[in-house]
Amino acid sequence: MKLLLALFSLVLPAAEVVAMPGQSPIINFRIAFRAGAANDPAGKAGLATFTAAMLSDGGTKAKTRQQLLDEMYPMAARFGAQVDKEMIVFVGTTHAENLEPFYANLRDALLTPGWREDDLKRIRDAQTNALKLSLRSNNDEELGKEVLYEQLYTGHPYGNVNLGKLSAIAAMTMADLQGFYKAHFTQANLIIGVAGNYPKGFVERMQKDFASLPKGSPAAVKLPALKPMAESRVTIVDKKTRAVAYSIGYPIAVTRNHPDYPALLVASDWFGKHRSSGGNLYQRMREIRGLNYGDYSYIEYFPSGMYQFEPDPNMPRRSQIFQIWVRPVEPPTAHFALRLALFELDRLVDRGMTESDFETTRDFVARSVNLLMKTKSAELGYAIDSKVYGIPEYAKYIQDALAKLTYAQVQAAIKKHLRKDRLHIVAITDNGEALKKMLVADEPSPMKYNSPKPGDILEEDKTVAAKKLGLKAEQITVIPEERVFQ
Amino acid sequence: MTRPLLTLLIAGIGVLTAAEPRKIFPYAYEQTDFPNGLRLITAPTDFPKIVALYIVVNAGSRNEVEAGKSGFAHFFEHVMFRGTKKNPPQKWEATMKAAGAATNAFTSDDLTAYHATFAKEGLASIIELEADRFQNLDYAENVFRTEALAVNGEYNKNSAQPFSRIHETMRNAAFDAHTYKHTTMGFLTDIKAMPEQYAYSKQFFDRFYRPEYTTVIVVGDVKAAEVKALAEKHWGGWKRGTYVADIPKEPAQTGERKGHVDWPVATAPWISVGYKVPAYSDSDKETAALNIISALAFGPTSPAYQRLVLQEQKVDFIGGGASPHVDPYLFTVTSRIKKDADVEPVRESIVSTLNGLKDTLVDVKKLDAVKKNLRYSFALSLDNSEAIAEALTRAIALRRTPETLNNLYTMYEQVTPEDIREVARKYFVESGRTVVTLTGPKAK
Repeated sequence: MKLLLALFSLVLPAAEVVAMPGQSPIINFRIAFRAGAANDPAGKAGLATFTAAMLSDGGTKAKTRQQLLDEMYPMAARFGAQVDKEMIVFVGTTHAENLEPFYANLRDALLTPGWREDDLKRIRDAQTNALKLSLRSNNDEELGKEVLYEQLYTGHPYGNVNLGKLSAIAAMTMADLQGFYKAHFTQANLIIGVAGNYPKGFVERMQKDFASLPKGSPAAVKLPALKPMAESRVTIVDKKTRAVAYSIGYPIAVTRNHPDYPALLVASDWFGKHRSSGGNLYQRMREIRGLNYGDYSYIEYFPSGMYQFEPDPNMPRRSQIFQIWVRPVEPPTAHFALRLALFELDRLVDRGMTESDFETTRDFVARSVNLLMKTKSAELGYAIDSKVYGIPEYAKYIQDALAKLTYAQVQAAIKKHLRKDRLHIVAITDNGEALKKMLVADEPSPMKYNSPKPGDILEEDKTVAAKKLGLKAEQITVIPEERVFQ
Repeated sequence: MTRPLLTLLIAGIGVLTAAEPRKIFPYAYEQTDFPNGLRLITAPTDFPKIVALYIVVNAGSRNEVEAGKSGFAHFFEHVMFRGTKKNPPQKWEATMKAAGAATNAFTSDDLTAYHATFAKEGLASIIELEADRFQNLDYAENVFRTEALAVNGEYNKNSAQPFSRIHETMRNAAFDAHTYKHTTMGFLTDIKAMPEQYAYSKQFFDRFYRPEYTTVIVVGDVKAAEVKALAEKHWGGWKRGTYVADIPKEPAQTGERKGHVDWPVATAPWISVGYKVPAYSDSDKETAALNIISALAFGPTSPAYQRLVLQEQKVDFIGGGASPHVDPYLFTVTSRIKKDADVEPVRESIVSTLNGLKDTLVDVKKLDAVKKNLRYSFALSLDNSEAIAEALTRAIALRRTPETLNNLYTMYEQVTPEDIREVARKYFVESGRTVVTLTGPKAK
């Protein structure tokens, strides 16, 4: 039977499909390619993003960008690209009434791109500004997170932010884009996702259309083992800004299909679930002490967390990091805030969580997992990711795992995968040298409050304020804003 | 009975061709007014398992009439998470967690909204929990003072974004008397002084956290009768208040105004051009016409977009419009420009594009394309219970009923090229204009 299927797949179009037929007149597409920024050749960081944008925001062979906009506008149809390290996904939404004209344009965008010079110029400017202005200059929080990833993955295929390097973007040619397209937009890399009330035979039609892509062969980039971190490192980005933002972390061995993923998810959600006031870090740093707007932790990449409550799907990775995100703090409390975040991390690693916190969080995660898939588009995206990770449907995967998960397993997973030393700390601040000096001096940083605090908090503060970070000058690098992503 | 989604959506979309307009909001909802003034809106959907609860208070930064109290509505949104005697914050969190809830809140000029999206089994406990905090909020001065610091942190996190400063500067320049002069975040000096306002915060709660200001919206896998019974039980005894904020009227603007932001680091320059426009209305065509103008004049198929973004490529972003407000507000067009030297030509383009609408009647085909886009955008946005509740929340802020959505879309259908010309002549005038620019340090 197995052999028969294998033979069968040789004659059928090769594209993998995630189809979710349903009654909704809203039809969602996710056309994914298993390639991404990790495939950017040396010296061409940002090529995957540039190529994807050329398809989603440029013209097709048949139509200019303006013609496409004129046609798509009345339909209010949405179409855009998302690029991560190992996946490029084109996300589209249309009303069933407009399926035919929408699909024709989506198909042409992906299969017969226009490769026009004026599109190239406009998209180059857009990508440059997205990197230089929107990320580097205007968003200290996302900047801190992306610099952390760059630092942890230096010299690795994950080593550049998906938008790339400014100098590389400036030098990119049409031939570079076409080369990337030819190499990676292949049938072997393709997963077609579609959901909604599409007509019978539609999926087969898509498969036939996309069979015009080169066959290719599935070839994921080889990921070298990361060099173990011998000691903590600090990267301070020096820029004119009001407050001090931190991102702290290190790579972990756990990805979504790792046996310890559900256990670590429970631990991280207890410690600092994204944008939830229930997380421990949030409670200790913001709720009790008013240090900032929020403090969270992650075990998977989650860009745009500043704007979103739920992560976008289709960013599968074979390597993830554990990360603490401390939102901007007032400069006089910057030293204390860093110490407190690390103090809480120490406690997590030393003690884990209590059994009752484990039970509450486990039940919470089992219920809240459904919210991740509240839209059909997200459900489709999660299904594609599950295919890539080789796991069952995500909500079921989590719920089944949590039903069996024990307290001891979570405590063991914390011990095994998390640590309190050998961290990379990124700070975004004005006057980076002053912060460096303060960190090296390691003097106590007592907290002052604008209101009385309970005795146990004041006691704890004494310990936190005196916590030795033990950082030496050579472990700390200050880089001016202009050099980041250059 | 819950009517199936499909039938309803198709019914809604049928409007595109039907001679007799049908309603844009496709869900059968139940609206109940309790004797104390509280309004309940329940919209059952067939998105399974999940319920979205949005509690809307019709008070936002617009209601901050006293000097030194800007930003208070938003600050108070934070304070609302500080618990009651019966449900201190930890217990509140535990109840929400037990339902797998995602919770948060937001404040704008005309509203403050508290929301939770959760597994349907949590409905009864969460309605009870939320009723308790709206009626019995109880917080000590020390936690109040701590929360003020979190608001300062929120200001900090936004402060690296040029758009926040442009928005702040535009409002400060364009308004003299009305509370729209300050943003929802508030003036930084007022934010810094918030820890001292404990007594005032009690007064604020007493004024606005009252049933006559509040609408409870429940959308999702629910039955209207069950929701109504729960609301009656837990919210029915809440006492009506008496306060009405005396919001100053903005005098007519008599000349063009200007504002400028010196950005401390290198940046692409920005420009924002604003015009005074009337308050939101769903009973005449002005709001509808202004919304259509924003798409016709600066949307992705407009000549200005085509020229500035696609051909000349002078800007990488342009867009805007009149965000709907309870009182007269602004129609703004904002753009990020690639070079300092192009700021003036882009300003000129924006102004002449709007002036052009005063003379030349717009093409009916283009007008129809915008109307079609508005209807499809709305239909496509209603793809989950939370999104539906959010759409209702925006409507509630303006007219306290979902019907305003249906009314507005009926107005869109009626807008003619002549209406566009008339609105343009009336409002795109120099005396009502405010121009704000933002530039980085001059290159050395």
